[in-house]
Amino acid sequence: MTAATIPQTASPNIPPIDGIFRALSDPTRRRVVERLNRSPASVGELAHPFDMALPSFIEHLKVLEGCGLVRSEKAGRVRTYRLAPEPLMLAENWLAEQRALWERRLDQFDEYVLKLKEKGK
Amino acid sequence: MSSTPLFKPDPRLDLVLERFIDAPRELLWTALTTPEHVRQWFTPKPWTVSDCEIDLRPGGLFRTRMQSPDGKEVNDRHCCYLDIVPNERLVWTDALLPGYRPSGDPFITAVISLQPEGKATRYTATAIHRDEATRKNHEEMGFFDGWGTVADQLAAYVKGI
Repeated sequence: MTAATIPQTASPNIPPIDGIFRALSDPTRRRVVERLNRSPASVGELAHPFDMALPSFIEHLKVLEGCGLVRSEKAGRVRTYRLAPEPLMLAENWLAEQRALWERRLDQFDEYVLKLKEKGK
Repeated sequence: MSSTPLFKPDPRLDLVLERFIDAPRELLWTALTTPEHVRQWFTPKPWTVSDCEIDLRPGGLFRTRMQSPDGKEVNDRHCCYLDIVPNERLVWTDALLPGYRPSGDPFITAVISLQPEGKATRYTATAIHRDEATRKNHEEMGFFDGWGTVADQLAAYVKGI
């Protein structure tokens, strides 16, 4: 897997990652994402653990769906939500890339400092 | 130097990297704060630092001009030092320009802390990111060609919150 080949900011529009981070800034929505990480679930199943009026809870689901983190399908009267893997990959890769940058930078720093130390002897 | 910590890392956004190196911290400090040295390590190869300017005082300039191997892509970053405790702590940000003028494109505050351990040093590099980070990230994409990604970040990202 190469992080760099994913065209995560190729669009000149508002980058999707902003919406993802915003969506994940709320604890209820994070718990929904964690739950959906295990398996798809209906609105009822998702709402069950939360002491929250259903319309408010559905607003959270809309935010998650709006940024593309989750998708839903209606079969009969049941709407089922599932995690959309791609946006999470974007978020994952964003932080992974920052980490890779710093790991590489510090590798070079350590190597260079040890070289300086050798020279100084 | 110890005091109540100001900063609590956010696992969705921030990185804390701790390292141990068998070198005195005075030497690390020199490598961190001298342009000729910074040029040698600051940018992951094959990118290079073609220019580096350092005005080592709070509010002073920390500039690194980084370029791709063919010289076509350039990332010229003007940062501002926030905190300078010789041999202990160095903090800079691109949220401010030199002289503390707010920048239009804030992305990161970096904190390097050095602690002596005998003749060696344990140091921590902390990268505190703004969450609307994508644009700058895009500018840096060139660094990441061919780099592997870190698969288990997903778990950390979702669960470590």
